[in-house]
Parts: sequence; C-alpha cells; structure tokens
Amino acid sequence: MTAPKSHKTKTYVLLFLLVLLGSVGNTLLGKGMKDAGDLDLSHISTVIAGATRVLSSGAIWAGIAMMLGFMVCHMLVLSWADYSFVMPFSAIAYALVPLLGYLFLHEQVSTARWIGIVLIVFGVVLINRTPHRTTPAIPQENPN
Amino acid sequence: MRTASILIFVVVTGTGGEICLTHAMKLLGEVHDFRPGAIVKFVFRALRVGWLWFAVFLMAASFFSFLTMLSWFPVSFVIPVTSLAYVAGAIGAKLFLGEKLNATRWAGIVLICLGVGMAWVDNLPTALAHPSALPILRWVILVLAVGPLIFYVIGIYSAWRFFRVAHRAIVPPLDAQGFPPASILKPVRGLDPNAYENFASFCRQSYPEFEILFAVNGPADPVVPVVQKLIADFPERTIRLIFVEERLGANVKVSNLCRLVREAQHDLLVITDSDVRVEPEYLRSVAFMFRNPAVGGVTALYRGQDNLQFVAAMDCVGSSAAFCGAALVARELEGLNFMMGSTMATTRARLAEIGGFEALVDLHSDDYELGHRIAARGHRIELLPEPVWMAFPSLPLGAYLRHELRWAIGIRNIRPGGHFGMLFTHGLPWAIAAACVAPSLAVATFYLVGYFALRFAMAWIVGVWGLRDPVLRRRFWLLPVRDFFSFFVWLASFARNRIEWRGSSFTLENGRMIPVITRANVPE
Repeated sequence: MTAPKSHKTKTYVLLFLLVLLGSVGNTLLGKGMKDAGDLDLSHISTVIAGATRVLSSGAIWAGIAMMLGFMVCHMLVLSWADYSFVMPFSAIAYALVPLLGYLFLHEQVSTARWIGIVLIVFGVVLINRTPHRTTPAIPQENPN
Repeated sequence: MRTASILIFVVVTGTGGEICLTHAMKLLGEVHDFRPGAIVKFVFRALRVGWLWFAVFLMAASFFSFLTMLSWFPVSFVIPVTSLAYVAGAIGAKLFLGEKLNATRWAGIVLICLGVGMAWVDNLPTALAHPSALPILRWVILVLAVGPLIFYVIGIYSAWRFFRVAHRAIVPPLDAQGFPPASILKPVRGLDPNAYENFASFCRQSYPEFEILFAVNGPADPVVPVVQKLIADFPERTIRLIFVEERLGANVKVSNLCRLVREAQHDLLVITDSDVRVEPEYLRSVAFMFRNPAVGGVTALYRGQDNLQFVAAMDCVGSSAAFCGAALVARELEGLNFMMGSTMATTRARLAEIGGFEALVDLHSDDYELGHRIAARGHRIELLPEPVWMAFPSLPLGAYLRHELRWAIGIRNIRPGGHFGMLFTHGLPWAIAAACVAPSLAVATFYLVGYFALRFAMAWIVGVWGLRDPVLRRRFWLLPVRDFFSFFVWLASFARNRIEWRGSSFTLENGRMIPVITRANVPE
C-alpha cells in the first residue's frame, strides 16, 4: 500500500498548491467583497450598480481565478489520493492563516488558538503517516 | 432548531458533494500528465461525468447555506461547528468510497477537528452557550437516548416469541426413524476448564450412529492426553484424534476443519467449539431440525455453568443477556443469517454449495460467515430450542477486554452497519447522558429507571426465563458493570483494526485476516 515516490511528490505539490490557492483566493474574495461595500438589493438599478462595483474589482477576479485553480488542483489530487487523506490534510490552512497573520501582520493570537494550531499540525502529521491511497484503481475503459 | 438544521444541511451537502467529486475523479483514473494541455483535457473529460455535476450541485448548496449561516452567527461559531465535516467526511469516505481508515488516520482527523474548533473559537464558553446550541444538543440526546429503551422492548418481545415455542419443543425418542449417521467435529487447542467433562458429554449422546473427530495441531498440545483418556474410557464410541500438519490459511481453526470434513464419514456435520457441553439429547435435537428440507444450518444459544470467577461471570452475563438477546432480535427482525461457534451444524451438500471450509480459511469470524453464506444460498438457519453449556475460563480483566475487543473488531468488519447500530444497544451511557442534560429531575429519573427496569427485564426474559442460565440468575447485578465496559470496548473497536489471536498479530480487512509481519515473526 505504500505509494511510489513520484506518486507522493505529486500529492504534496498539489496539496501545497491547493492550500495556497484556497487560502489566498478566499482572502482576496473577502477583501474584494468588503471593498465593494454592502450590497443593496432594494432596486434593480442598485443591484446592477453593486454588481458592477464587484465585477470591476481586480481582487474579485484574482480571487475567482485562484478558486478555479484550487478546484482544478482538488480534482487532480482526488483522481488518485483518498478523500479522507486530502480533506484533513488541507485543514493545515486553518493553522496557517492565523500563523501567517501572527508572523506578518502581528495579529494577536489567543492561547486557545495556539492550542488549536498545535492540534491541527499534530493531526496533519498523523494523517501524513497513513497511505495516500487505500482504494484499488477502477479499471479504465478505452478512452475512444 | 434553526442552528442544528442548517448545520446538518451544510455538513451533509458539503460532504456529499466532496464524496461525489472524489468518486467522479476516481472514475476518470489517476492523472499522470501535468502539461497545461493535458490538464485542460482532463477538466473537459471530467465535465462529462454525471457525478461531477451532482457534486457541483451539492457543493453549491452547501456553500450558499454556509454563507447564510455566516450571516446568522459569528465566524468564531460557524467554523468550529462546521469542522464536524471532517468527521462526517471520514465516515462518508469509509462507507461510500471504501477507503480504509486506520487508527492513525482517525486520530489525526479527530485532532484536526478539535484543533479547528480551538483555533477559531474566540471564547469557548460563550460559543457553547450560544442561543439554541445547547438546547438542540439536549433534545438530540434526549430523543436518541430512547433508542436503547426501544431495543430492550424489542428484545423482550423477540425472546418471548422464541422461548414460548422452544420451551414446549419435544425431542423425538431414540426409536423414532430418521436419525442419519452424524459426524461431530471438534477442532481443539489447549485446555478449557472441565475439558474432559465437556468432551465426555458428546460421547454420552443417545443417538443411533455417530463418530467424534478431534483435530489438534501437534502431539505436544496439553489437550492430547485428555482426548486419549476419552478414547480409552468410551471404547464403544468411534472417536479419532487427528494431528493436522497442513495450514491452509490464516485461520488455523478453519484450516483444521477442512481436514476434519475430509476425514469425516457421514453427511451430517456437527461442529462445536471445544468449550461446549451438551445434554444427551443434543444430537437428536440437531438432526430433528434437518428433517425440514428448508433448513440448511443449525446453531445454538448458550449459557454458563455456575461457580465462575468474577470476570468469567461478567463474560457469561454479557453473553447470555446481551449477545443471545441480540441474536434473538436479529432472528425476529430478519431471520438468522449467521451461526455461533457453540454449534455449527450443516450437511455435506450445503457445505459444498458454499465451497466448503476451504472458502473460509482466511476469515476471522468463521462461524458467522458459514451461516451467512448458507443463508445467502436461500437456506434457513435454525436455532436449537435448548441452549448448550459453555465453559467460561477464569481470566484477568485485561485479557477479557482484549478478547471482547477482538470480537467487536470482527463484528465491525463483517457487519459495519450493524456494528454502528450497536450505538443504540448501549443503554447505560445513553441513560447517563440523558440524565445529565435532562431539564428536570423527573426526566432524569425516567431515563435512569427506564434503563435499569428494561435492561433487567430483557436480561431476565432472555437469560433466566429463556436460557435458564444459573450464572445470570445469581449475578444479575453484574450486567450494568458489563454494559459499562462493553461501551468502551465498542468505542475502541472503531480505532483499531489489529487483533492478537493465538499469539499472532493480524489486521482485518473486510473480515479477512492478514498476518502482520513483525520483527519477532519474520520468516527466515
């Protein structure tokens, strides 16, 4: 059940991209939405105005592109790796976001959050000790 | 209610979507080519898979309900509670995708789930006290805690239905016609308490023609002199002791049974564990069952012999009141589709239909599988009206718990759904949980009294009235103690897939025993 080395490498590369694109994409989308201000859904003209503001924001488009990239990486890695491996592994993002905030933006991190970060990292270390794939390959039909 | 519904919706649609997506990707097969063109091609191939669209639909539903949740509650409440999706995803991956989660992975997932909760909760106490979070939990517990009580009522009903008929069953006298010659097969290893008396009870059968075949793995086994004494003491009986050299699979007992079936002379095969003692009418009663051509297998409930040491008594109380009770419920609800090691009786024809014992040589729960496969061929599995006696060995608590754990892991492997459903047969933890969250003293009392009353009532009907188990009658009070341990064994059985059996380690994969190569037993 141990995966060949190349198999492992591509899993890690894709998981890295997945986590990176996912967290940056989410942040960009959040920033873009906040910059666009509250959406006023009361009248068709205000909705159009709001939508224009959202769609003219570079951050939103960058965020959407990142999320698409995230989705493609997700699909690629799931074509061989276990869902129960990928899903908890990508939780490392929940530890990285507050950690990066602390390191670069000097945000306050509470004790509870520190404990949480340690638990997540330890959990990912455990997940990493399990095989990437535990299901047999589904026999492929001829692609023609 | 609003919080719980939207939380469940977010988790179920999100997890469901991810599971469908994974399935779709596995259908496409592993990607090896990462050039941009190939990736675009891959995405277009993916768009033609129906599962992908279903996944997108579910994930979109989950995403929008997640946004709704964020508009209702602070993010420091939403992210921790939705981290339950890690556990839901793991369960889904196991059930629907067939992924194998070992203990390490489970532990990692639980840690991550807790970690996400801790990292995103600003203030744990206020989050728990969030409006409607606690009352929902309370009602969920109170409703689910009724489950075991219903199980006990079904147990009482099932036992009453079976024993009402069984107690009136009459074994035909010896002179009646139609008792075919029978082979009693006993794979044995080591000495059980009262081994000689247990074996001798088979020699004292009042039955026209039968033979007893013992299989042992070597002349050094301490059971060998006991069998030799038996052969000397019962010269009028056909008793043979066979030393088996060959080993056909991981399960040595089944491997020995393959040989015994080959050596046996007769068509009616009666296999019993070495620790079983029977009444003289036993074999007639088994053969009588097979007069109904629909019957393909016969098995028996069991009870303990008195004067047991504490842990053995607990084992016995658990077997009579809990295991036999559950077997009777299974019989009532869906018909028996398994057998118990206390008696596995079948005919050579039925055994050949399922491919003989040779088909079971690597399986852990051979008794269960034998019955299951015979039932799957459309034959009935019947229960003897009279239980057999079982010797429960004295053993330390740790050994008892390990034995129970091995058994629970075996069950989880062959009946994962039923094993999970056992959640609702554990009345003690549910009663305690319900009492803790109960809004008033009266409600708390209701659950605790309900547990004790129905638990004891079921045990009484199954064990004392039905099985006439002397141990259960005297040591009734051991039942809640046993229930307490049994709950933790059940929990532990989720985290482990490795069993120690007869000095070797195995992991179970869908009930199949895979030997674990450790440094101590690496072959030369």
